[in-house]
Amino acid sequence: MNIIEVKNLLKTYPLPGNKKDSFNAVDGITFNIRLGEVYGILGPNGAGKTTTLEMLEGLKDINGGSALIDGLDVSNNAFKIKEIIGVQLQANEYFESLNLSELLILFGKLYSNEINTKNLLEKVGLLTKESAKPKELSGGQKQRFSIACALVNNPKVLFLDEPTTGLDPQAKRNLWNLVRELNVGGMTIVLTTHNMEEAESLCDRIAIMDKGKLIAEDTPQGLIDEYASEPIQETLKGNLEDVFLALTDHRLRD
Amino acid sequence: MFTSKQMHLAQVFLKIFFRDRQSIIFNLLFPLIFMGVFVFFGGESEPINLGLVNNSSNTISQEFSELVEEEPLFNVTKGEESELKRQLFLGDQTAIIIIPESFNSIDETAEIKLLLDASQVRQIGSIKEAISKSLLSIERSLRNTQPMFMIKVEDVKSRPQRYVDFLLPGLLAFMLMNLSIAGSGFNIVEYRRRGILKRLFVTPIKPQDFIISIVVSRIVIVLMQLSVVLGLAILLLDIKIVGSLLSLYGMIVIGSFIFLCLGFSFGSIAKTQEAIRPIVTSFTFPQLILSGVFFPINSLPDMIQPIAHILPLSVIATGLRDIANDGVSLLMINLNTLGLFIWIILSFIVATKFFVWKEVAG
Repeated sequence: MNIIEVKNLLKTYPLPGNKKDSFNAVDGITFNIRLGEVYGILGPNGAGKTTTLEMLEGLKDINGGSALIDGLDVSNNAFKIKEIIGVQLQANEYFESLNLSELLILFGKLYSNEINTKNLLEKVGLLTKESAKPKELSGGQKQRFSIACALVNNPKVLFLDEPTTGLDPQAKRNLWNLVRELNVGGMTIVLTTHNMEEAESLCDRIAIMDKGKLIAEDTPQGLIDEYASEPIQETLKGNLEDVFLALTDHRLRD
Repeated sequence: MFTSKQMHLAQVFLKIFFRDRQSIIFNLLFPLIFMGVFVFFGGESEPINLGLVNNSSNTISQEFSELVEEEPLFNVTKGEESELKRQLFLGDQTAIIIIPESFNSIDETAEIKLLLDASQVRQIGSIKEAISKSLLSIERSLRNTQPMFMIKVEDVKSRPQRYVDFLLPGLLAFMLMNLSIAGSGFNIVEYRRRGILKRLFVTPIKPQDFIISIVVSRIVIVLMQLSVVLGLAILLLDIKIVGSLLSLYGMIVIGSFIFLCLGFSFGSIAKTQEAIRPIVTSFTFPQLILSGVFFPINSLPDMIQPIAHILPLSVIATGLRDIANDGVSLLMINLNTLGLFIWIILSFIVATKFFVWKEVAG
């Protein structure tokens, strides 16, 4: 069953410096996301990944095509859809004089939910930081906190925009574990990334975008079989990241 | 009337404000310093520093110069013309009078020179007036003539009004303008820059929830801060509020609402943190001068007065002053109330037109 159905989705912007002409930031893409899967959108910077997510989240107007989440058209059910999705944005700043617990209560209130802050913070491994301010958190902690904020309404779909960009390997793997746990609990997860290893290890299916178009979509193994079937060079060794983790150990550093 | 979502968000905004001790202190410091300065230095008018050059050496000029020295309005320095002129250039003297050599008879008209540096002296007209009036009365006593009349000033408002009484309502209006615009305009731009508005936008919060909570929390903040200033003014400066406090607070709430609405518009127009400052300054600064905060609008040039009277800060400062100084009730309809009414509607329309949630958040 599809929880998200996107058909010929289009986003146009006027060309910078030339108001008459426009370009398509997202150029008529079509894909479906199944209930309970982890779906990754990959692509270089400027490929249209974030714009696609922001249209689904209701942050940006849709200029063409359609998008349905849980059977609701995104264009005319903005508020109903906001109730059932959780969003983690690339920029994750908050009112800085509030502590984590107060911020979670605030976000809960915005959904008219009374929430158990301790449970939520425990889920993302931040129980000891209950009364810390966001600016006192490390990069990885900040990302985990913004996921906690996205979980206050127990969403059906969780959108993560480049959740591991800028994190050290320990924090990154820790976040992957969190995503897996949430997914095992039944949550559909849509994430963007340009980390190939992340896509390969986390996602059930992957869409690759470039210049606003969707150029490939399959399971990680399916994509490898189709586009990189020739073994480049058989290596039995790990890569430099494994070296880094072996030397600095796997425990989380924040 | 308000939803629990709105009330919770308003409480959050209050919490954020009260945790920022520095801004609370500095918001209060400016008006307090200002009032203090005017109370301690603005009460009595300072004597005019007057240089006196006596080029004549007879009894009449001697007697005349003694009388000038006795005049309480002047702080007289006698000396040579060149030295006193130097002091005039430096600003140590406000004016110099020069008694000519020919000053020797009460039956002939002599010419007394008055030297001034117009670039250094404000209100040059009134100083000239004061000096010539004093010199005339000195002439009378020299001639031993009785003045024909005296002017007895009687205040029709039948109670003494000091400058601070005039200043306080204007200062309160100015404070509420700044606090309100900071609360809506500056905060919106800051929240947008840091992506907070975007984060709020992906939750099911409606724009009116956000706007109402900011308006409610800011009005509470304005009322508290203004109460501190008002309380200190009543306790320490013995200021009397003639009208009812209820009217005064009603006017403060209305004023805050107008400036919050205008602030929302500025915050929506300004795309960056750099842009909001000049936009707000070009709105508030002219009003600081033109809106009768520090001196009455009637003392402005005639051409500017009609414009000055319709500025939002003028309307609110005048309203507060009418209540505080003259005991007018908030409900009393006059031309100013009409202006107030127009600004409430205008600012609300402008705010709702410019504050488009999706655009402001994105």
